[in-house]
Amino acid sequence: MTKVVACFKWVQDEADIRIGDDGSVDLSRAKGKISEYDRNAIAEACALAGMLDEGSPVGLTFGAPSSKPSLKDALSRGLDEAYWAKGTDADGADGSITAKCLAEAIRRIDDVGVVICAEGASDTFARQTAPRIAALLDVPCVTSVMEITVKDDAIVAKRRLDDCMETVEVAFPVVLSVLPEIVEAPIPGLKAIMSASKKPVTEFSSTELVDGSRPLAKVSEITGTSVDRKCIDITKDSPEATVQALVSALQKEGVL
Amino acid sequence: MAGILIYSDNTELAADLCGFSTPEQEDITALAFDGPAAEALSTCGAKTVVNIEAGKDAIPESYAKSIAAFVREKGYGLVIVGATPRGRDLAARLAGYLDCGYGADVSNLAYDGSTISYERFNFGGNVVSHEHIDGLGVVTVGKGAIERVSGPVATVETASLEADGREKLVERIANVSEGVDIAAADRVVGVGMGLSSEDELKLAEDLAAALGGAVACSRGVAEERGWLPVDRYLGISGKVITPQLYLALGISGQVQHLYGVRDAKVIVAVDKDEKAPIMRNADYCIVGDLKDYTPLLTEAMKAR
Repeated sequence: MTKVVACFKWVQDEADIRIGDDGSVDLSRAKGKISEYDRNAIAEACALAGMLDEGSPVGLTFGAPSSKPSLKDALSRGLDEAYWAKGTDADGADGSITAKCLAEAIRRIDDVGVVICAEGASDTFARQTAPRIAALLDVPCVTSVMEITVKDDAIVAKRRLDDCMETVEVAFPVVLSVLPEIVEAPIPGLKAIMSASKKPVTEFSSTELVDGSRPLAKVSEITGTSVDRKCIDITKDSPEATVQALVSALQKEGVL
Repeated sequence: MAGILIYSDNTELAADLCGFSTPEQEDITALAFDGPAAEALSTCGAKTVVNIEAGKDAIPESYAKSIAAFVREKGYGLVIVGATPRGRDLAARLAGYLDCGYGADVSNLAYDGSTISYERFNFGGNVVSHEHIDGLGVVTVGKGAIERVSGPVATVETASLEADGREKLVERIANVSEGVDIAAADRVVGVGMGLSSEDELKLAEDLAAALGGAVACSRGVAEERGWLPVDRYLGISGKVITPQLYLALGISGQVQHLYGVRDAKVIVAVDKDEKAPIMRNADYCIVGDLKDYTPLLTEAMKAR
């Protein structure tokens, strides 16, 4: 049995964030969701497990008790089982705490061959979890992966970088971060959602995993960004008149 | 003084980062992987350039563990890495090996010799997080955040650092430019899922040609539909551009996409849905079918 661990994060939906006129940020009405890019990571973990002899895709998340819905959602996406590093340490955790918690959880899961993270989470998008877990576990890491193949006991990963496409080979165990285009993340069907409730979930205490560590990157303040756009509806009675008005406006702006 | 270590796999960006200054005039050391990079970094503000002579097939990220040991040995207080895919990977690994704070893609970076402060965007650019790290920290910084300076010729030293031999390079193929550089274009036409068929791309291409610009897209157009290469999509996980004019055709304007164009001088939106988020994030809005308006816009631009 080789487990392929997909890490996922329950995040607040950015569409529900309200920014006040004074720049205040109201997160109180934000609903939770599995970070969108993590859905691709879960789908790729399932695909990769299918390429291995006796591969099993499993999920791992670090979340407060309020993140419980993430488990059923993730399990409905094809994972065999899930691990939950549960605790309020997740609230206000920085990347160091998150990586420590996940790395320690991974140490406690048997037969882990591959850990897959998304490139970044849709709330912070810091793109640090995979490399940081790899450093803590002192195992190889490959980021920006857009294609994975298996060669004996190694992963061959194709990466999309700024100036090139790079292919690297790394032996198990390895930590990967995948780009969202690596595989589509289909919406789970009703049958998959129903069966997700019956799949096993193992809980860890995040307080035990984090072992007293405190955030190293400390947040002093969060402020909303203002959208300083004119928002002028320039639509006229006819498309021709509209286009004429727009061209005139753009000329005045000096951008044509 | 603790000193600052600079690295980027993009030598131009590394040269910019060497211009970072602090009130205490902390010494800047630039890390280079080969001779040409060491030479290029020797006159842009760094006091010392350390060349590790890694060779052209090196995978910079795989040196993270030995660079972390080098940081400990030299006692640097801050490591600034260029915010490229490789740089972000290396920086996060360094922070892991060093067990220190990490700030990704930061702006307004300041360092007083003991505390690192910076700002970064969260939630697709809706929220600015003001953060600080006490003691050693690693940050990534993108283009344009630190101005390049010229300085006296640096001392060039060599150091022997080891790569993680478990990560083996199989192949590296340089990107071949298809002649479209959306990051360099002053006028960009963006297409979204409002396009009903691939044929309608031609409308956007004609408009971009008339504007002397380039065609970009939302993530869905590149990834789900495959109508344009993935290096043309804009947003938090794609390209971030700063054109004079961004003309969004059939783009709803999700926050992830808007992150990629937030610094455009003027944004124009054409969409059937007057309640689409793009309408609250554009300077000029046209409520209507892009098929009706795009050919007229093209003709108007040609007639200028």
